[in-house]
Amino acid sequence: MSNQSIYHRELENLEQSKQFLKRNEYSKMELQLEFKKLVEHYEELIDQVKIITKISDRLQGKLNKTNEALELSNVQLAELNNQLNQTIDELTEARIGRRAATLVMIMAIGLFIISEVAIEPMIDDYFGDNYFVGLSLKLIVAILIKPGEEFTNKYMLRKARKKQLAQAKLRMGS
Amino acid sequence: MNNLRIDGSKQTPEIDFNGQTGILKISGRSIPENTFEFFNPILLWLDTYSAEKPAKVVAKVKLEYFNTSSSKYILEVLKRLKSFLNDGCDVNVEWYYEEDDEEMMETGEDYQDVSGLPFEIKPIED
Repeated sequence: MSNQSIYHRELENLEQSKQFLKRNEYSKMELQLEFKKLVEHYEELIDQVKIITKISDRLQGKLNKTNEALELSNVQLAELNNQLNQTIDELTEARIGRRAATLVMIMAIGLFIISEVAIEPMIDDYFGDNYFVGLSLKLIVAILIKPGEEFTNKYMLRKARKKQLAQAKLRMGS
Repeated sequence: MNNLRIDGSKQTPEIDFNGQTGILKISGRSIPENTFEFFNPILLWLDTYSAEKPAKVVAKVKLEYFNTSSSKYILEVLKRLKSFLNDGCDVNVEWYYEEDDEEMMETGEDYQDVSGLPFEIKPIED
């Protein structure tokens, strides 16, 4: 197999026929034999083309089916990934919400103690026995608890998301 | 007669031709970058083996996928086996396919029709 081609035998046959045509003269018998040979090769070639085309088309269909199944799996995987991310987000939010509430509660207790220990005596010194000033101050602290919790919650969530994003980038990079 | 053994890869099938037992195995996937380079040694081996006039040859084919040029070379391999048969050798082709792989089963049937060789088309049992 010196000719490095998939169709080297067919090309050889064709070359032989071409060489035959180059001859100046040939007998009827030779012509008949050569023609018979050519028809046989042609028939064989058509049989080959038919079978190869049929098989190739069928396997192309198989490949398409596999690709479609793969695409479907990718879509399902993306959906599952979304659900997973959503669940992670919800869990993170819940965790951070609890932390924020605890933090704000500690701050409120701290403020209450400070107001009782340090601010109340100062108010008493300035305003005497004015009960409403101290009460107003405590009311303001109580009103600020909820917005304070939300602000803390949002801040901590932003921080957690930034951390998650950095970790994801790091994973993609590695 | 030396055996012919070529390890399989993601693109080429595993070849295990045993000159002593006459069992010729082809398995895996055949999508080589250069089909001639891959299949030419196989055809040359078969040509040499044919001179040994083996009494019995069993070809076990377990392919999951192959490209168009490989299908031409598989046909060439079967033609070589047909010449073994014509020389009086007992040739049998065992064509295996995964149970749900209808395409590969039908491909085996097509090769059976075109080669005129004794074929056994069998599903792979786990």
